[in-house]
Amino acid sequence: MLHEALRFYPGGDRAIEVELGDGMDFTINFIVHRLVAAVREARIAGLVDLIPELASFQVNYDPDRISYEDLCHEIEALYAEMGRGVTGTLASRLITIPVLYFDEKTEACVEDYRKDYPEKTPDPELICELNGLPDRAALRRRHASTEYWVAALGFWPGLCSLLALNPTARIIAPKYNPPRTHTPKGAVGLGGALTCIYPDATPGGYQLIGHTPAPTYDGAQRLPDFADSLALFRAGDRVRFKPVERDEYNEIETRVAEGSFRHDIVDYQVFSVDRYLDWAKAQEEASK
Amino acid sequence: MSRTITTVKPGLQTCVQELPGREGFLEQGFPLSGPFDAWSFRQANILVGNDRDTAALECQFMGPTLTFDADMLIAVTGADMSPSVDGAPIPMYATVAVSAGQTLTMGFAKTGARAYLAVSGGIATEPVLGSRAVFHQAGVGGHALIAGQALPVGASEASALYVLPESARPVIGTDRVWEVEALCGPNDDWLDEATIEMFFSTDWQIQTKSSRTGIRLTGPEFGFSDKALNKSPDHGQDPSNIIDHGYPMGAVNLAGQTPIILVNDAPSTGGFINPFTIASAAFWKLAQAKPNETLRFRRVDRDGAAALRAEIDAKTKPEILQNA
Repeated sequence: MLHEALRFYPGGDRAIEVELGDGMDFTINFIVHRLVAAVREARIAGLVDLIPELASFQVNYDPDRISYEDLCHEIEALYAEMGRGVTGTLASRLITIPVLYFDEKTEACVEDYRKDYPEKTPDPELICELNGLPDRAALRRRHASTEYWVAALGFWPGLCSLLALNPTARIIAPKYNPPRTHTPKGAVGLGGALTCIYPDATPGGYQLIGHTPAPTYDGAQRLPDFADSLALFRAGDRVRFKPVERDEYNEIETRVAEGSFRHDIVDYQVFSVDRYLDWAKAQEEASK
Repeated sequence: MSRTITTVKPGLQTCVQELPGREGFLEQGFPLSGPFDAWSFRQANILVGNDRDTAALECQFMGPTLTFDADMLIAVTGADMSPSVDGAPIPMYATVAVSAGQTLTMGFAKTGARAYLAVSGGIATEPVLGSRAVFHQAGVGGHALIAGQALPVGASEASALYVLPESARPVIGTDRVWEVEALCGPNDDWLDEATIEMFFSTDWQIQTKSSRTGIRLTGPEFGFSDKALNKSPDHGQDPSNIIDHGYPMGAVNLAGQTPIILVNDAPSTGGFINPFTIASAAFWKLAQAKPNETLRFRRVDRDGAAALRAEIDAKTKPEILQNA
C-alpha cells in the first residue's frame, strides 16, 4: 500500500531513506522508479547517488552542499508535482535468460547445505509444497510462464530483484535460515515474492531451482553485451526465463567460454503501466 | 625511466584506493569502496604534494614490501607497520624522498589496522567505472597486490618535504577501546526504547570475522517495537527483516541478532533493518579498530556529525603542513 505522504528516515549524515509505501508491489515500485527519475532529472546540487528499491529509495548526498531538510523538501515538491496516479510509461528492454532447471550445480549446492541441516526440505520440493504445485515440471512451467519486472538491483554487482508481472504466476518462498555461505555463479533463486539470478559466487538465502550459463555480470567486460556496463540488467527492464535442455546449455557455455555469446535483448520497448495493470487484472479474473 | 612501483611481497590485502570512491553505481550493486580511513589517506596524499583524494595504497594488518623504479616522494600514515627504506626506519606522517631501486618494507601493524602509502604523482591504474578504488571481492578495479606486480605511478614535480603536526594526526589509542559517534536511524523505530538506550551504553566486541565489507559485533540481544513484530508478511518472518531497501554506508545492520556495521565494500541494499548509522567522520576509527577490541557508541545528531566532519576536513588540507 502507498503511504499518504512520503516518509523520510535519516541514514547517518550522508543518506536519506525515502519510503513511498509498504509492500512488494508492482504499482509502488513503478512509482518509486518514476520519482527517482524525476529526482535524477532535477539535478539537485549536492545529490550524489540514488538507489531505487522495491517500495523506497535511498538518496546519498553531500551534507556540506545541501542540508537534510532542504533535500527532503525538494523531493516532496517533486512528488507533489508528479502526482500519485499510476499512469505513464518507462523505457524497458526485454531480456531472455536461458535456464537449465534442477541442474546438477545447484542440486549439489542444496545437498551440501543439507549435510549440515538435514531437516531442510530440498528447495524445489519445498517450493512446490508451499505453492500448491504437483511436481518439478509444474514449478518449471510456472516460473518460465511470465515476464518479470527488474524492481531493483543491489547487494552484489548485477544482482537483480525480479517481480512476476503475471499475478497468477507468482511464486513465494521463504529464505534460508541461516543463509548459505556459498551459491554457484548463475544460480536462479526464489525468496519472498522475488526471483533472482546470482551474478557471481556469493553467499545467499534464496531457494535454488536452476542455473543459467548466460552471465549477468562480467567484471572483465569480455563479452560484447557488457561493453557499456559490467552488469546486464537495469531497473525497469523485463526478464523472461527460457527453459533449455542439457545440449543447449552446453552449447551456450561453450560460446560464453569463446567470448562469442550474445544475450537475447529486445531494446527500445516502451512499458505502459496503465495497459499493464488492465492486463494483470484480467489475468487474475480469468484464473478465478 | 618508467615510473612504477614493483611488488616484492604483497602484504595482507594491499589495495589501490581513491576518493570519493565509485559513485553513481550503487543502484547496480557496486559498493562505493575507497579508503576505509579517509583521514589518514588524505594526509598521506598532501604530504607528497598530491590532491588529497588521489589514488594511493591501503595496507591491511600487514604491509607490503615494494621497490621504487624511479625517484619519488612517499608518505606513510595510519597504522604503525614499522616502515623502513633499505632497512632504515622512516618516520610516519612525513614526506620521505626515495631513489630508484630503493625498497620499502612494512610489517605487522603495532597500532591500528590500516596504513596508507601515497606516492608523488599518485597510483595511475586504469579507472573502472570512473574510479581507481578497488572492490577486491568482486575484482572491480582490480584485486589486492600480488608479488611481481608493477603499479604505474603518475608524473609529479613535487619536491617539498613536509611533516604533519602531531596535533593534526588521528590518535590511535592503546587501550583497545574506541568511542565511535553514531546517529539514530533510519530504522530505530523498529527497536524498543530500552534497546536504543542499551545500544549506546554497551561495550561491543569486534569479532574476528570483520573486513572492509562489515564489522561484526558481539553484545546483548536486541528487543523490537510493535512495528517490527506486527508487520505485513512481505517484510519476512524475522523481526529484523524488512522489505529490501538501500543500506546507508556506516549503517549498523541487524541480521537476526548480530549487528554488522556496513562499511566501504558492503552491499548497497538488502532486507534487514539499520537502526543506527555511524557518523561519516568516525569511520576512520572503524578502520583502525582491530578484532577483539571494544566499540562504545556515542549518540550524536546531524549537527554533531557536521562538527566532526569540519574538524577532520581542516586537518586534511595542505595548509596544515609544516616544512620538514
